[in-house]
Amino acid sequence: MGVVRHLAKRAIFLVITFIIAIYATVIIANGGGKVDQILKAQIYTDLKQQFARNPAYQRLPPSVQAQKFNESYNATIEAQGLNEPFFQKSFRYTFNALRLNLGRATQLHASDGSMIVSDIINERLARSLVLFTVANVIAAIVGIWLGLWMARKALSPFDRGMTVLSVTTFVVPPWVYGIVFILVFGYEWKLLPAGGLTSLPPPAPAPLYQAFSPLIAIGLAAAGYVVIARLRTQYRLIGYALVLAGVAGILVWAFVLPFDYFKDMEWHMILPAAAVAFSVFGSWSYTTRNLVLQVMDEDFVFAARAKGLKERDVLSRYVLRAASPPIVTSLALTLAAAWTGAIITETVFNYPGLGLLFFEAISVFDAPVVIGLTTIYALLLVITVFLLDVTYSLLDPRIRALRR
Amino acid sequence: MAMSTPIGIRAAFLEALKTKSGLAAASMLGFLLLLAVLVPIIAPYDVVNSWNNPTVWADNPKLVPPEWSERFVGKHLPRTIIIPPDGEPGGFKRARVSYTSEGQIYTIVVLQQTFDFQYDAFPSEIKLYFATSFGNKSPLVHAYLERPDGQQILLFDDTPSLRVPDVNKFVPSDVITYSLSFPTFKDPSYEVFANIKSWLISKNVTNDTEWQSLYPSPTGFYSNPPRAQVLLLADLNHSMLDPTTAQVLKGTYTIRFVVNGFSSIDDANARAVIYGTVFGLVGTDDQRHDLTVALLWGAPVALAFGLVGALASVLIQTLLGAISGWYGGVIDEFVQRTADFYLIIPTLPILILIGILYRPSLYGILFVLVVFGIVGATTKVTRSIVLQVKEEQFIEAARSYGASRGRILFRYILPRVMPYTFALIALTVPAFIFLEASLSFLGLGDPNLPTWGRLLGNAYSAGPAIFYTFWWWVFFPAAGIIFTTVAFALMGYAFDKVLNPRLREQ
Repeated sequence: MGVVRHLAKRAIFLVITFIIAIYATVIIANGGGKVDQILKAQIYTDLKQQFARNPAYQRLPPSVQAQKFNESYNATIEAQGLNEPFFQKSFRYTFNALRLNLGRATQLHASDGSMIVSDIINERLARSLVLFTVANVIAAIVGIWLGLWMARKALSPFDRGMTVLSVTTFVVPPWVYGIVFILVFGYEWKLLPAGGLTSLPPPAPAPLYQAFSPLIAIGLAAAGYVVIARLRTQYRLIGYALVLAGVAGILVWAFVLPFDYFKDMEWHMILPAAAVAFSVFGSWSYTTRNLVLQVMDEDFVFAARAKGLKERDVLSRYVLRAASPPIVTSLALTLAAAWTGAIITETVFNYPGLGLLFFEAISVFDAPVVIGLTTIYALLLVITVFLLDVTYSLLDPRIRALRR
Repeated sequence: MAMSTPIGIRAAFLEALKTKSGLAAASMLGFLLLLAVLVPIIAPYDVVNSWNNPTVWADNPKLVPPEWSERFVGKHLPRTIIIPPDGEPGGFKRARVSYTSEGQIYTIVVLQQTFDFQYDAFPSEIKLYFATSFGNKSPLVHAYLERPDGQQILLFDDTPSLRVPDVNKFVPSDVITYSLSFPTFKDPSYEVFANIKSWLISKNVTNDTEWQSLYPSPTGFYSNPPRAQVLLLADLNHSMLDPTTAQVLKGTYTIRFVVNGFSSIDDANARAVIYGTVFGLVGTDDQRHDLTVALLWGAPVALAFGLVGALASVLIQTLLGAISGWYGGVIDEFVQRTADFYLIIPTLPILILIGILYRPSLYGILFVLVVFGIVGATTKVTRSIVLQVKEEQFIEAARSYGASRGRILFRYILPRVMPYTFALIALTVPAFIFLEASLSFLGLGDPNLPTWGRLLGNAYSAGPAIFYTFWWWVFFPAAGIIFTTVAFALMGYAFDKVLNPRLREQ
């Protein structure tokens, strides 16, 4: 029962935090009402110019002119909801955001012209999620694998070199690597497109399953690797076959399949994904290495070794399992943070995802879009944190004991 | 983070210096500190302060690589030659004669100066500056270029209408600029192409039809024919019409202005700039800024910003973490829930919003960053360390002789935590440097200071294609940021190795 009570407490707390965070965003996104004033001033000057250009208006006597102007100014203000005091409005905004009723954008629109905020976000959400999830998962797999290897060869030149590389690469954010990669691979060597979602004009559309072909190929190869690494000798042949199939699949994708819409998109995603992965893998390898080295000194690992288990099995069944909770935590938090922290990376690569949308929305003071995006971000984070709590409570009895 | 044998800050620092990475980090940081101290002497603050004032940078060539890059090309590339106005050393030499003929007073002013051009490439631009004072009627001004091969070319003639009270004071606002390379249609220097054309046709180098195909529009705005400075400074033969084959005519050139005035007070003064194709240590950007200044000043700004920000936020976080772990109860709960709250609000988007709404200065940005970092990862780490330290015997001993809780916190617990704090400070500095760089990159940094992030942002907003051709504009600021942050990361790593016994090299 302790777990349920604990989780319920956490859930309530997270909901309250979520509400406060959304309210804070509403206040900040509107600059505490400052944006309203900016918008009002914009409407005022726009209307002034509009009236000044109207010859019929110019012929009216001044008093009627002023009256006409005020009428249409007030009507516009009212139509845009700017007459309401901001304090009152902030609650309405918050309430709407909490119901995920994100409303209409004031300036931006989706590619089909819709100004509904959820349409605009929907259009971009998938792009960001795919790009940053793939990049982060690749970085995590490579990093954890490297970290294990480093821990196994602790204090060897390989370990030292990789440690310094890891420590020095992960402090630099992806967009700086992005700039360097664009410079080198995009312009100097002209290997990969330097930015954008697709080429211009985009190639012919293709069936959706073609989008997954490289992922399936990579998956096959990875499965093959796991089979070779984990299973007994008689299955290894299958493993090698899988790896071969995967590699062949990637080659077929790269050189045989027509250059269709999805391949073009994937082609454009390589450079940003590489930049993100390069800036993230170091923290994975470094923390994994340190965690594994710490766990390796524990008694149960000695016991497992004393039983005569193979080093590989000790590492994967005992050490990695004990070290996994912190790894899972950071994976989840990095993913959640990656979706929010991609603003500048997407700007650098001109990749039309959520990050670029955020920047565009902020630049034109499109408060509904900003609030909508922040709500989505906060929601993603809250769900992640809660799922983490659940996993912790279920997985690790020590944590469960500590929490209470 | 596992607790090891207690170690003081000094000892930890000395130990860290003994490791290779610590030594590397210390020397990198030492270099940066030295730079930070020397920079105000090399490039005074006024220079940086006038970053947004284009007149200060007007004499630098636009978008040219560093001087040493000529080694890659294997040519001696032109530096910028400035011929100052009369009255300054090396300036234009002025001769002035007034005479009366048939009751009318005439004044003739001749301004001329030579420059030696011994480079293997053509200048990037040529600009002539001219100031006149005159009576009722504008004088007639002719500008000539005399080449080493004896050719004399009329560049343009003009009747300037801008009057200067004193030509000896060469005030930029009173001076007429004739750009020979990028003339505008209303500009008298627009004639330069017509004059060059008639000169070349008279020398049988080209003919009307060829010229027409080279310059579909009179100044070649829509194609890529040789610019005026190429034609003016090239060997006189047919190859000069193609910028790739034109050969530089090396030797001494003369720029001459002849002013025919119509009153006794007529006078004139001139100035010329022959822009090079390389500049300084780091080159220039599209606003003619000397990037060396920005690159050098980037170091102290990044160092100060990163250090102050990291110190403030990590110390606050440590203190809060220690209080939370030591006092426990309601305080603990409050701090932990605040930390969770900070985890959920998206910091960078909010920072960008604040940046757009209020355009804060560097201090403002720093303040906001610290406010958004009063709780965070360090709070949690410190709290867990304090929870371990709490159970140790020396705390019990302190308690038993009646030390107050505050005293124990500040005299016994915090000193134990401090070494870890220092490691965390070193690891947090890069985050602050990059946050500032991120905001500057988006154009939301301090509007008055050139920082590394701002240089990158400028280069980026000038167009992505700019990356390839103008590598120096991107490469050096990026290298500066990476160098600084890597130094701090290595420092943090060295600390980590000392404090985390399991990671320590045997």
